[in-house]
Amino acid sequence: MSERRIKWSYMDHWRSNGPAGPVDQWHSHRTMSAFLKQIKAVGFDAIDTFDFRLWQMYGDYGGPAGYQQMVQDHGLERIVNTFHAADYDLRDYAPHVPETHERILEDFRVTMGHWSVIQLDNIIVMPATLYYDMEPVTADKLKITAELWNQVGEITAGYGVRLTCHHEFFCGIQSEPDIDTFYAYTDPRYVSLFVDTAQHCIASVDPVALYRRHAHRVSGFHFKDTRDVATGDDHRHRPDSEIMAPTTGKWFYEMGTPHGLVDFEAMMTAVRDNEYRGWISVEHDKANKDGGDFSEATAVARWYAANVLEEIYR
Amino acid sequence: MTGIRWGYAINQWKPQFDDFVRREQHERALKTISIAGFEGVELTAGTGRWEPLGNPQQLAANFGSFAGFREFLAGCGVPAVSSFHYDPQQRSMEHLTGPLSPLAEADVPAVVARAVWFAEALTQLGGSVLVVRAAPSAGDDEPLDDAALHRLAACWQTVGRATLEHGVRTALHVDFLSALRSGDALDRLLERTEPDLVGLALDTGELTVAGIDPLSIVERHGDRIRYVRFKDALAVDEAEEYRQPHAEYAVRQRGGTREIPRWFGEPGIDGGLVDFPAVTRALLAARYSGWIVFASDPSPHPAASALLGGYVMQRELRPIANGR
Repeated sequence: MSERRIKWSYMDHWRSNGPAGPVDQWHSHRTMSAFLKQIKAVGFDAIDTFDFRLWQMYGDYGGPAGYQQMVQDHGLERIVNTFHAADYDLRDYAPHVPETHERILEDFRVTMGHWSVIQLDNIIVMPATLYYDMEPVTADKLKITAELWNQVGEITAGYGVRLTCHHEFFCGIQSEPDIDTFYAYTDPRYVSLFVDTAQHCIASVDPVALYRRHAHRVSGFHFKDTRDVATGDDHRHRPDSEIMAPTTGKWFYEMGTPHGLVDFEAMMTAVRDNEYRGWISVEHDKANKDGGDFSEATAVARWYAANVLEEIYR
Repeated sequence: MTGIRWGYAINQWKPQFDDFVRREQHERALKTISIAGFEGVELTAGTGRWEPLGNPQQLAANFGSFAGFREFLAGCGVPAVSSFHYDPQQRSMEHLTGPLSPLAEADVPAVVARAVWFAEALTQLGGSVLVVRAAPSAGDDEPLDDAALHRLAACWQTVGRATLEHGVRTALHVDFLSALRSGDALDRLLERTEPDLVGLALDTGELTVAGIDPLSIVERHGDRIRYVRFKDALAVDEAEEYRQPHAEYAVRQRGGTREIPRWFGEPGIDGGLVDFPAVTRALLAARYSGWIVFASDPSPHPAASALLGGYVMQRELRPIANGR
């Protein structure tokens, strides 16, 4: 069997139904085990997770290394990436506001210390505040933001972890020209791009073209689908666009969903053409909305990867 | 390597008659079964237009032909139908018949014809076993005396001979409500039938709920087993409520006087009573070869059940079957 150039990781959004209602996998060792068994059963190689789970890792598993052991006990390789989901606030945590930078930098010094017991590939960030907190998006703001992430990337690189940016459709840097400008301002040694196929698609940015243009900066992917493109003020809807935009109750769907807008075959072809090697993460956050089911969505997405995408490149 | 093939029973996706009727639902369920590592799907016989996968006529109506259905299965990554599960007591809207009984000599020709109908379909869908409900519920008929066992044996001998002409083996399924649960009725029935014509379907969950250790059945009748269904049991009918009339609803569905919320679950479920590694090893010792079909019957979360079952199959039971 030839060497695999692509491995598949699952970004760990999950809900199951407990006796008292929906719970996530962190509810107990039992629910975590059931989650990991299902991820392994469909053929994922590893998982991604979130930083805000660090405290549950300490409380229930003794820390990140103990939790990774739990993951490995279920036949999965390791934790590949973590998503640093910060609470952006103009008062103390806003990448385009220089006065908040020292707090952000300290946050990453502390965070990377926690993760230093295991080897991650990427720490993923949304590189800007919510759109409505950053607009108007100017070249100066993009430059200030880029300078921050260059410094953060230098910190994470010290731990052998890449700082990589994930552009939500509702964040301040989501349009094609702003994304291009941002990467022109950032240092390729310290700041990478993490392509989320659905988020770009919702923001009317072709994820395949974006990837082809920035392939040398790309350190990972979220392969997920959408059925809707943001219109009007969807991207700047107060207080929230992701689950409260009036136009669309559910933005995200698993790969393989009917009526999906992402051209995954073209995406995988581009991945092949650029000779990308490494991990592709599969994500379908909020899959349980509108009657959806995480187990089924995860099975369908992994089925699509195994039966369609791996025929293109593996 | 052994000759064991792993399948999954799709009936867990259909808790009510008007559920699970749409093509896209079937597609997602079959893809789930496929990616969980199973290579076959067990269909449950059903009747009427809301049972698209329930019998040859409905398959033709929905997929054009058996070839069309098989193409649909292949498109979902499922190479074969392992089996049909047929209960003669189910009415048939397609044939305008009510319940048939294998104990009633007058019903036997119709039971045989129906079995052949399913066997012909199985030959074109990659299947090799027709699983039949061997006897009516204990509470709905007289106890099985010698004369009744003789009639049962005669019926299944005839069915077995007829399906074998199509290359399909007949396997008797004993559920926890079955009249065959009592005493040595199953042993006596098997004595009265020819092994080449009539086999046994081992259902770990049904036997366990019935208070019968599936290992004891493998030990006594391992050479008669033609089909295996792995499902777990979450409770035992210790009060023998199966003897009451209409137990199909009052006991199986409603859970009896204790209102057991769920008799069955997928292998590996928390609280499950079946020792699947032990049963797998016993089947291997008995030189069993053929389908082992996972089931949950039904499940509140069918996709999760299929994936959790897939984990147990891939990580625990298949390595045993493969001698690792």
